Amino acid sequence: MAEPPRVPPEMFRFTSTERADLHTAVLHAFGEAGERLVTALTVDEVRERLRSAGWYAPVSEQDLAGTLKQLAGWGLLDVIFNHAGSFATAEEYERRNLQYALTRRGEAALTGMRHAMAALSSVGALQTAVLDALADRLEELDRLLRDPDPGRNRRIFTCLRELEGHLDGLRADIRGFNGELQRLLRVEGADVAAFHADLATFHEVKAATVAYLQEFVTSLERRGETIAAALEAVAGHGAGVLHARALDGADLPRMPGTDQATAWLAARAARWEALRAWFAPEDGSAPRVRRLHDVARRAIVSLLQVLDRITDSRRRSSSAAADFRTLARWFATAPGEDDAHRLWDAAFGLGSARHAHLGHADAELIPAGVPWAEAEPVEVSALLRSRGRTERMGRTGKVRDVAALKAGRRKRAEQERAELEAAWSALATTGAMRLSQLGKLDHDTFGRLLDLLGRALAERPDSTGFRRAVTSDGRVEIVLRTPEDGAVAVLRTPEGWFRGPDYLIDVRTLGETGLHGRAAGA
Amino acid sequence: MSSLANQLVRAEKEEIARAIRTLLGRPLVSRHDDPAAFDLIRKRRGPLIQWFDYFCGWRLVVEPRQGYARLVKTGPPGPRAASRPARRRRTTRAPFDRRRYTLLCLCSAELLTSPVTTIGMLARRVVQAAAVEPDVPAFDPVRNEERAAFVDAVKLLEHYGAVTAMDGVTEAYLGDEDAKVLYRVDTTRVIRLLAAPVPPSGARPPGEDGPAELTAEARYGGDEPTGTQRALWARHSLIRRLLDEPVVYRDELTPAQSAYAASLTGCRLLRRAAEEAGFVLEERAEGLLLVDPDAIATDTRFPDDGSHAKVAALLMLDLLVTSGPVTAGRLDAEAARLLRRFPQWARAYQSDGGGPRLAADALEVLTQFGLARRSGDQVAALPAAARYRVGRAVQEDS
Repeated sequence: MAEPPRVPPEMFRFTSTERADLHTAVLHAFGEAGERLVTALTVDEVRERLRSAGWYAPVSEQDLAGTLKQLAGWGLLDVIFNHAGSFATAEEYERRNLQYALTRRGEAALTGMRHAMAALSSVGALQTAVLDALADRLEELDRLLRDPDPGRNRRIFTCLRELEGHLDGLRADIRGFNGELQRLLRVEGADVAAFHADLATFHEVKAATVAYLQEFVTSLERRGETIAAALEAVAGHGAGVLHARALDGADLPRMPGTDQATAWLAARAARWEALRAWFAPEDGSAPRVRRLHDVARRAIVSLLQVLDRITDSRRRSSSAAADFRTLARWFATAPGEDDAHRLWDAAFGLGSARHAHLGHADAELIPAGVPWAEAEPVEVSALLRSRGRTERMGRTGKVRDVAALKAGRRKRAEQERAELEAAWSALATTGAMRLSQLGKLDHDTFGRLLDLLGRALAERPDSTGFRRAVTSDGRVEIVLRTPEDGAVAVLRTPEGWFRGPDYLIDVRTLGETGLHGRAAGA
Repeated sequence: MSSLANQLVRAEKEEIARAIRTLLGRPLVSRHDDPAAFDLIRKRRGPLIQWFDYFCGWRLVVEPRQGYARLVKTGPPGPRAASRPARRRRTTRAPFDRRRYTLLCLCSAELLTSPVTTIGMLARRVVQAAAVEPDVPAFDPVRNEERAAFVDAVKLLEHYGAVTAMDGVTEAYLGDEDAKVLYRVDTTRVIRLLAAPVPPSGARPPGEDGPAELTAEARYGGDEPTGTQRALWARHSLIRRLLDEPVVYRDELTPAQSAYAASLTGCRLLRRAAEEAGFVLEERAEGLLLVDPDAIATDTRFPDDGSHAKVAALLMLDLLVTSGPVTAGRLDAEAARLLRRFPQWARAYQSDGGGPRLAADALEVLTQFGLARRSGDQVAALPAAARYRVGRAVQEDS
């Protein structure tokens, strides 16, 4: 790979100092003079010519001298002493006999600046005419090379120059156009802001670009192939032959001690490579012009998308996408951050609730309707007030507590279960029996009996006068019948007496755990 | 009289209560984010949907297969505090700014077009969308701060499961505009992010008093409600406030709401709602509040040592409760005194102007929890602040 070009130091310093305007104007003056084949200027002549370079402001003697000295210091101007002139005073000597001329570097700097300005103001355009011209020149070269007459060499030289000129033009155009295209795709924001009042204009610009690109792309492929074919034909004669004959036709000035031909040939070979790379690379890789094709096609698609979007946004559909876009607009135009937060809350409702987490140990002790100031305060960690920390152990301790609590709960549940089973088995009857036969019961068992009786009595009697019910866990069934004799049963528990109708009951345990009552009942 | 069945019932009640509070704290619960919470909601979705509909008229959508539950929380009407911003999914948890909200909306709109996308394509579409949308500034992903805002928006969408990164991580885009991140888009979930009962594209832009039109629900009859609708609205709006806000003061209620809160049915219903959700309802003369002992249904806690501002807030609350309304300057001085007293503490504030900054942040905390209010130059404690006044034990301690 070639190294990036290195610009000689201070070459463009004149464009960036405080006096850049004057510096540029002076250089321009030299450039103007050069076009008239005047190469050296005195201070007075420079002053005169400043006007033609577009500098009308007065310049003091000192300023101008300083500028010239500065430019000479940067290597852009040479100081030439005209010893042939007459002079009487030192001032006159300086005035008349010091002349300034552009150095090579100065010329390059001036050209560079002009080129830069031209590139800035150029309009990117793709011209199919350039492609046609490339093809024409290649065909002509092919024709000329068939003719071995050395008299043709001059034409071959000019033809090659034209070809190279067109290639340069094409490359510059494509670079410029692509840059502009990418900018068009990129800075739509600014465009739209500018065009928003007049969407139609915006529409037009993009639509015109699309049409232009489409036209260019359709002809690009065919023309690219024509050029590639012509290129192959010329290459058939050998690039070396072509260049050798062109060199002959070029008729370079002969200077002793310098080998201009080698450099010239090397430059031609590089250009030739570039031409091949664009249209028909020798290594068989994709020609660059194909890439231009891709870029153009992608640009067409993007531009059409943007156009679609404009029409779409005007259609004002009520779809979700439109909802989101509307919200985007509202957020963008919200007067303040707080308004945006409120809008977020209203539109998305994704915010969290917020609640106190400290409560009273026993909230029910404080009656409702008491003012807060009179109710007990909640307990806030004393550490938080004194140290700014809450007790961290509280959390881990709690976890341990939960495990213990669970174990305790499970144990209690098992115990309750066992008690329950015991109670059921105590109540389980061996077939139907009178309530009064139960006689004496402990209080818990009595409670369960009441629960069972309640369940049974809540059911409607069937046709035979029996009521049936099962407990909520489905394990105990009771069948009950109201006594026909109106007998009264009296049950005794350690805590008191129960008096009620002497029902006929039959309690069965249905669970898998065969209690003896079930076994007896079966 | 306990039995196995009773225990099952109790377990179910506990689960439902926990699920309700989880949804209040996070209205969108995803399987990918919190599998346990999602599973719980999925299992109990029947009673949960009924509970939210009955008590506050909020819709709960549970999608067992898509793996998310969304509580469509429509805020209670009226002026709302701007204290529930979207937050960046970074350690700072800084609130979103307008730019990030805007990008979030634009991204959501663009995500609806295709089920798969990459971060670069999404960014390009947002560039185009921002360009054609009037009033929306252009989006320029070349600039670092724009990319950071964009990444924050995408990360929030990722957090809600609207997009899932299948390859690469979103943060990579911060440093490199050409980062390759592939996303799968859940378009229905993107749409579910919107909770406003009125589609924004059909509503008027928010006016002076905020986006009021967005939250108008047809169910309550609009301007001419029937008696039933009015009663329903009183119930739902009151319970919504109670479920969402730290304190509901009676003097902030509308006449219909306070009448409902004072009625026998209202009282019973409020208590039932609180109990079924696992809250403790505190009814005091000045207002109502719900205590969530597990702190599930809250984004932040107070009193807590979570930040220096919170600690300072508690200490300043002591001053506000004991010495009545004070001037803002007095609070600033108090904060400065605290900073002087504990030089090793709250280093972020131990600099010039630290006192007023600390006082402002602490006051912000108190305002968020409905414990203090600033009007003009005066800062006054609100009635519920008395809950945290210094008890006797602590006074002896200090």
